[in-house]
Amino acid sequence: MDFGYSADQEALRWEVRSFISAHMTDAVRAEMDELSEGFGVSPGRHSGGLINGLFKKIGARGWLGISYPKEYGGQGGDRLTQYIVEEEFARVNISLGLGGSGAPAILAAGTEEQRRHFVPKLISGEYSFALGFTEPHAGADLASLQCRAVRDGDEYVINGQKMYTSSAHMATHIYLMARTNPNLPKHQGISIFLFPMDTPGITVRPLWTIQNDPPAPIGTTYGTPRTNETFFDNVRIPASCMLGKENEGWRVGAMGLNLDRVGAARYLISVRRDEDIVNFVKQNSFDGYSPARDPAIRDKIAELWIEAQVCRLMTMRSMSIVEHGGNFTYEGAAEKIWAPEHGVRTTEAISQMLGPYGQLLNGSAHAVERGVFAHNLMGAFQSGINHGSTQVMRDQVARRGLDMPRK
Amino acid sequence: MDTTLTEEEGMIREIARRFLEAECPPKLVRAMEKDPLGYPPALWKQAAELGWQGMSLPEQYGGSALPLVYLGLVMEEVGRALAPLPLLCTVVTARAIASAGPGVMRTAILPGVAAGDTVLTWAFSERDPRLLAETVKMGAVADGDSYVLNGAKMFVENFVVADHCLVACRTAPASAGNAGLTLFLVDTKSAGLSQVPLVTLAKDKVSEVIFTNVRVPKSSMVGELHQGAPIIERLLEEATALLCAQMLGATRKDSEMAVEWAKYRKAFNQPIAAFQSIQHMCADMLLWIDGGNLLTYEALWKMDQGFSGSVEASQAKAFCNEKCEAVVRICQGIHGGIGFMMEFDLQLWYRRVCTWTMRLGTAYEHRAKVANALLDHPGQVILGRPVPVTENA
Repeated sequence: MDFGYSADQEALRWEVRSFISAHMTDAVRAEMDELSEGFGVSPGRHSGGLINGLFKKIGARGWLGISYPKEYGGQGGDRLTQYIVEEEFARVNISLGLGGSGAPAILAAGTEEQRRHFVPKLISGEYSFALGFTEPHAGADLASLQCRAVRDGDEYVINGQKMYTSSAHMATHIYLMARTNPNLPKHQGISIFLFPMDTPGITVRPLWTIQNDPPAPIGTTYGTPRTNETFFDNVRIPASCMLGKENEGWRVGAMGLNLDRVGAARYLISVRRDEDIVNFVKQNSFDGYSPARDPAIRDKIAELWIEAQVCRLMTMRSMSIVEHGGNFTYEGAAEKIWAPEHGVRTTEAISQMLGPYGQLLNGSAHAVERGVFAHNLMGAFQSGINHGSTQVMRDQVARRGLDMPRK
Repeated sequence: MDTTLTEEEGMIREIARRFLEAECPPKLVRAMEKDPLGYPPALWKQAAELGWQGMSLPEQYGGSALPLVYLGLVMEEVGRALAPLPLLCTVVTARAIASAGPGVMRTAILPGVAAGDTVLTWAFSERDPRLLAETVKMGAVADGDSYVLNGAKMFVENFVVADHCLVACRTAPASAGNAGLTLFLVDTKSAGLSQVPLVTLAKDKVSEVIFTNVRVPKSSMVGELHQGAPIIERLLEEATALLCAQMLGATRKDSEMAVEWAKYRKAFNQPIAAFQSIQHMCADMLLWIDGGNLLTYEALWKMDQGFSGSVEASQAKAFCNEKCEAVVRICQGIHGGIGFMMEFDLQLWYRRVCTWTMRLGTAYEHRAKVANALLDHPGQVILGRPVPVTENA
């Protein structure tokens, strides 16, 4: 066991911090505020000239795709190095991680051609995926999905509807899970397809979230104002768009999700509130009342801080396992339970620390930190729903970690 | 950064587990609850042959100078088996002597510890149970070449079998920057010492120790006059983190028994392990124990690097106190009625884990320390960096 960082890793962290303090000018922050849609910014997604300039500089430093192989546009580094860089940028609402990008699954299951085509462009931000998993009647029980892909010569024809395709209005491509064989048991008849969003027959309809009015301030936990439902109407795609083998899409998708759960982003969106509230109560008082001196608040803050350490250490554990070339049995699911539920506990506790100030939204007079804590109340719980609910994760821990039976 | 065990760490744990599974069955644990010594000297001697007592002591005194992390792995196994050994109180006291005791004392005491011939303990708390220097009132007054100790110490573990006891005494009023404490290593056979046995939930050996004009030589001082507080604070930090390891070992075993029971016990025509309500409780138990483990080994690792592990040990203990208690209570629930029958072994783990949550600092005390580190020092906190905030963090 080793809970420390090497001298090289510490030096890298300082390099990233000084880069950030040099480049995060007020103008960049202002542009981010305008374009971030309440969440943050990531490579390739935004039209802002300053932000794109910043990402070019970040890319020139070799800080994109650090843990990805060099032949696919990465840096051939390790996950911990990537984590250190991601963590520092995530604190200023810049997302460099490839969580949810599909890149891990493409590397693991894609053809050589797919790897060379997609991975470098996912790293640079030229490409991005909307995730086409959930359907109106397939959420936690995702394997019951009904979107159909029917083989027709060298093509597949897609028909169906996907829900919560969050970035479908910005993404260049879709990562689609569809049923290729309705006669097989539900987990066995599913395949994954990767194709451009501008393929004829795709319609994207916005679904506005509770964060849209007023818009959440940048850095909110799930402050995204918009997701989508996406319709596929006789969408014809080449058969070569398939990721992995036909009818093996469930395994590929599960693997991708598992890898997506590991990394700085997942854990930081849940724990950065702990930092925020500590630093806020240290620096602020209300007409002489200092929450930092209130014994009940002190006890709660310490409790939350300790939980946040557990989140951090669980992330370190997952990365350690991956670095050793191992596979998770339950550790990824453990992280996906602890971090989101902790984020909710913190968010709710903060509302009780701030009292009536905690209700004030972005733009309100007297709003605390632009209303981020109030907006978090509308977002933190989403982290326990997206990418597998915490209840589904507990099933996985019980079955994979403890070998408990289904019946 | 690597949270997985090295091969050597895995071996230490494996050897300890096999040894205790063979030599320390629940029958022995039960027998020691009624034993006048409360521990089996033969097992103590065998533990010394495995090198446990001397594991984290300097090599020149018969130890192996291994990191506290290794000792934590052993304590985890000691907890798992509920091994009734005075190991924790002996090793932390021995380490305080090794770091701050005079050379003559080290040579006289430590080889006996490593060989399994000596039991040590320590005494800090008095009537006010908080682990703060200000609660120590017991006086030590200089008289020629001696000090004379008067007062009473509470919750002293294994005093009845200890050869020496490290005692925190007040030799000066607290002032800014100095708590005014001095430590003495007292021979437990000294004239004027008496003890009142306390009856504990764990049914182990804990005493109130009364000092009536107990005369100790100046040479028994550990550290300098009035400079005892940092030494005893370090002892408490180490003991706290090691007790967490012990608690977690016991708690994990307890949870494993409950999961096994759930797979075996049928209700409504299926094993109760197939009910999601049971599965989700078991999932939570696993996550809590894992979380406690990570916090605990980070604390021990930090101390091994020569840093203070004060905040980390407090993080671990506050978490473990509440989570381990919850786990063993849930395990009782999963077992139903049989779990609280005296003849069923589960209660042995339940009573001990509950007891350990109350020793070496409550969740409230430890959270107060964490809150102090977070809130009462200048600078912006950053998760993953040390608190209190240091200049270069």
